[in-house]
Amino acid sequence: MTMRLAIQGLGPVGGFGSGTAALERALVTAASCPHLTPVPSFSADTAGLEAFVERKTLRRMDHFSRMAMLGAFLALEDAGRLTAGRERLGLVLASGYGAARTTFAFLDSSMDHGDVCASPTSFSTSVHNAAAANIAIVLDLHGPTITVSQFELSVPSALLTAGQWLTAGRVDAVLFGSVDEFCPVIEYGLQRLHADQNPPPPQSSPGGTVPPGEGAVFFLLTRVGEESRYGVITDIRLGTVANGEPRIATDAVVVVNDQRGAMDADTTAPVPAPAPPRAVSYTPVYGRLPVGPAFDMAIAALACRHGLTAATRNHAEPAAHPIPPPSHLLNAPSITCLVLGRDNTFGLITSSGRG
Amino acid sequence: MTSAQPVPITGLGCLCAAGPNLSACMQNLFGGMRVPRPPSRFSTTHPVRFPVFEIMDDLPLPGAGLSRTCRLALAAAHEAVLDAGLPPDLLRGQRVGVCIGTTVGCTFNNEEFYRDFRSGGSPAPELVRRFLQSNPASAIAREFDLNGPCQTLVNACSSGTDAIGIAADWIRSGICDIAIAGGADELSRVTYNGFISLLITDSAPCRPFDRDRKGLNLGEGAAMLVLESARSASGGNRPPRATVLGYGLACDAHHLTAPHPDGAGLKRAMHDALAQSGIDVGNIAFVNAHGTGTPDNDRVESGVLAEMLPGVPFLSTKGYTGHTLGAAGAIEAAFTVACLTAGRIPASAGFVTQDPALPVSPVRTVTAVRTRAAMSQSLAFGGNNGVLVIGGSPA
Repeated sequence: MTMRLAIQGLGPVGGFGSGTAALERALVTAASCPHLTPVPSFSADTAGLEAFVERKTLRRMDHFSRMAMLGAFLALEDAGRLTAGRERLGLVLASGYGAARTTFAFLDSSMDHGDVCASPTSFSTSVHNAAAANIAIVLDLHGPTITVSQFELSVPSALLTAGQWLTAGRVDAVLFGSVDEFCPVIEYGLQRLHADQNPPPPQSSPGGTVPPGEGAVFFLLTRVGEESRYGVITDIRLGTVANGEPRIATDAVVVVNDQRGAMDADTTAPVPAPAPPRAVSYTPVYGRLPVGPAFDMAIAALACRHGLTAATRNHAEPAAHPIPPPSHLLNAPSITCLVLGRDNTFGLITSSGRG
Repeated sequence: MTSAQPVPITGLGCLCAAGPNLSACMQNLFGGMRVPRPPSRFSTTHPVRFPVFEIMDDLPLPGAGLSRTCRLALAAAHEAVLDAGLPPDLLRGQRVGVCIGTTVGCTFNNEEFYRDFRSGGSPAPELVRRFLQSNPASAIAREFDLNGPCQTLVNACSSGTDAIGIAADWIRSGICDIAIAGGADELSRVTYNGFISLLITDSAPCRPFDRDRKGLNLGEGAAMLVLESARSASGGNRPPRATVLGYGLACDAHHLTAPHPDGAGLKRAMHDALAQSGIDVGNIAFVNAHGTGTPDNDRVESGVLAEMLPGVPFLSTKGYTGHTLGAAGAIEAAFTVACLTAGRIPASAGFVTQDPALPVSPVRTVTAVRTRAAMSQSLAFGGNNGVLVIGGSPA
């Protein structure tokens, strides 16, 4: 759907650190390195949250909610709206798997101590919308709040509703965020599925896919009208890869979200993206996670604002979609973030610096 | 919010413990039938067998191999599409949106898998595959070969209400011309244990708004609405069953599991839903309340109803269905449409003794209502409040 949404603030949190400067640094210097235990993954640190929220408030908050909350505060701070009125501010959150670790912590409580001793705290914080609720409580945000879970398409799907709210005047601004956490149980299942369907060819090296990641990215979105700090989202589309779809402008740079390793082989279509250098992938900067397209959106936003300097890769695998030289991004009239979902579905978010 | 175009509801589908389809549900609701019983598909080590509202296992469901939540969603979607008179061929490959609310349906919490994993085993990934194939919105889109936006809302217990309101907004905005919207959730041992751990489950059949209420009973089910743009609906063979007039949602920002004591978020959601509907409070014939039977929910809701809609009859249908979580708002929206069509509402099951602490009480008997419009509302964990204003058939 054609929309015009202005990005006023960014709050990225991931294995690269937190804040726009950390993300830019990772893009430029390849400073984001996966941790090696328990399995290689990009883990996120939320220590920075204590600059915004008292420690006692965080006492019972799980890692999932903390990542989201840090992203939300960073986006508001980046937009210069930490203290602005929130009466007509909506909150839309996307998550592929929700608070997975807390979900299993709840199961631990009943498996370890019996059903009678199941933990009420773990149960209430394991619901998918717990992060949005915690953000609303801490920010005193009374506007509309939703959480969307559509696996790899969670971000474009949720963004569609955020855009609709703004376009229809339901709110004046949306804190649009995404969060997913690394969970060894789910990662094990994904890897088993992938391995079963994609037996490695003889003598191939392991790690042909990007390591899993975790983190949150938040955006403060408004209608176009006031000056946009990070360019404008011009198009959000979801659909099925068929009959020439998704159609992408011939002069756009396409950021392809690489979810290989997280999906059944028989549910994904070939990438309908142009060849390099117009197609790029930044997944190795933040890791593989369902809400990865939000990180791509953030990188596109930085490109729109700064003419983002080109990144380098820290992933050993040869680049399927190499990152282009900066001049190429600067010359592109638009950047399209593309993600493929199950059942040959796609999500597409296009931004432009020329709002 | 400013008033917005009504969105025609052209098809309805519903299954829950009250019945295997919407017609049977309404027959049982008006007949005062309810069948709470101990769970039959799982066991626990609780000393008390808290009753639930289950769908009978002999009910055939489509979608073999998918999660039960998905299969319930598919059954309701088939009924709704048939009710709308939409041949599946007409939908195939078209830009039809799907917006579904759920809670259990998006959570990977399989105990068998996890028990094996945490004990150092190597559980087979089939349960993970089934989970990944069982996103409710995607499953419906796949079943009907749709090519529109898909969204699964996980707003806890207001998910079904929110899914319908958001899909109506999609129709108004031209994001799609047709949408299948609703909610689905299965009974799960995990949520059963969870709600018991929170001490908000009644060991007897639930008693919404009753003086002696002790909490909720869980249920399972699904309901789907087919929404169409005015242009699309007028091209069909049947007049709309009803219309979505307005939708409001707001957050309490108060507590993860308890409603705001003054119902601040609910009031705002009601206000916004009414504003979008463009109708006055006086045109609301009845309210299908959230009415879980928990002391907190019913106290807050009754206070807000007394303040915002004085004298308007209301009921809780959870005495017939149990609390179906992400499906509840959709099931109750379907019941609301059916009641508007019937011109009457059933007795609020489980309500016997007036609570002197509540300013208003639900209806005790089948009650005739005017058919102009009605409200269906949901309150949820996380402080979410979703409210739909539904108009009767223009015919």
